[in-house]
Amino acid sequence: MALTVTVFQRGDIRVVRVQGEVDLNSSPQLRAAILTGVGESTGIGVDLSDIQYMDSSGVATLVEGFKACTAKKLSFLLLSPSLPVMKVLKLARLDSLFRIEDTP
Amino acid sequence: MRDADVSVEVASDPLLLGPVRSLVRTYLEALGIGQDLRDDAVLAVDEACTNSIRHAYGGPCDRSYWITLRSAPDWVEIELRDEGNPAPASKLERKELAPPPGQEHVVPGGLGVQLIYSVFDDVTFCTGEDSGNCVTMRLKRPIALKQTEG
Repeated sequence: MALTVTVFQRGDIRVVRVQGEVDLNSSPQLRAAILTGVGESTGIGVDLSDIQYMDSSGVATLVEGFKACTAKKLSFLLLSPSLPVMKVLKLARLDSLFRIEDTP
Repeated sequence: MRDADVSVEVASDPLLLGPVRSLVRTYLEALGIGQDLRDDAVLAVDEACTNSIRHAYGGPCDRSYWITLRSAPDWVEIELRDEGNPAPASKLERKELAPPPGQEHVVPGGLGVQLIYSVFDDVTFCTGEDSGNCVTMRLKRPIALKQTEG
C-alpha cells in the first residue's frame, strides 16, 4: 500500500499527515516530508492517526525528525498515533521519547 | 516428504515487503495465531526482510531472498535466507532495549534485530563465511488456539 502524504499549516505547527503503511519502501517519502519542513515553522506535527502499519524504518524516520527539530529548538509532535504505531514505538522502548498529542 | 508448508523466493525489492507481510499474516491466521501475536510476528519478519534488502544486499533490487514457513502442533517456524554480505556478529547480539537516557543517545536504525528477539520465542542467526545470512524464528503455538470450535 502506498503512503499518502498531506502537508498543511495549523497555527504555528506544520502538520505532516500520512496515511497507509510505513516500511522500507515508503519511509523515504515520510522522511522527505518531515525534513523538508524543518525550519519553516516553529514545529512539526506528524499525524499518524491513519497509519495501518509501521516498522523500524518508520521509527528511525521519526527519530531523525525529532533530532532535526530538537537541534533547531523546534517542537516535534506525534499527533494521534494509531495502535500499530504505538505498538512498534513501545516494542522499541521509544514511546517516552516523543511528545504525543491526541487531536480530535 | 515435504520440508515446508510454504517456501517462496522474493526479489530484494522493498516494494514487495507489503505482499510478504500479507503472505505471513495469512499463513499465521490459518494456523490460528491470534491477532496480537500475528501482528508482532509480521513486524519481526518484515524487519528480517528489511535487513536482507538493506544490509546484506545493500540496495539492489535484482537479488533474491527465501522465506520458508513450517509448522508443527506446538510451534511455527519462519526461516529467512539470503546470499548477501554476512552480518557482523556484533549486530546480531541480543541487547536489552531501554528507554534512551537522553536525546543525544538516540540513534535511528539498528532496531530490527532487537524487535525480532523481542517477538519470537526462539531466534537463531547463522552467517556464511563469505556470503549469506539465515535467521530461524520460532513461535510457540498456544494450546487453546489449536482446539477447533464447535
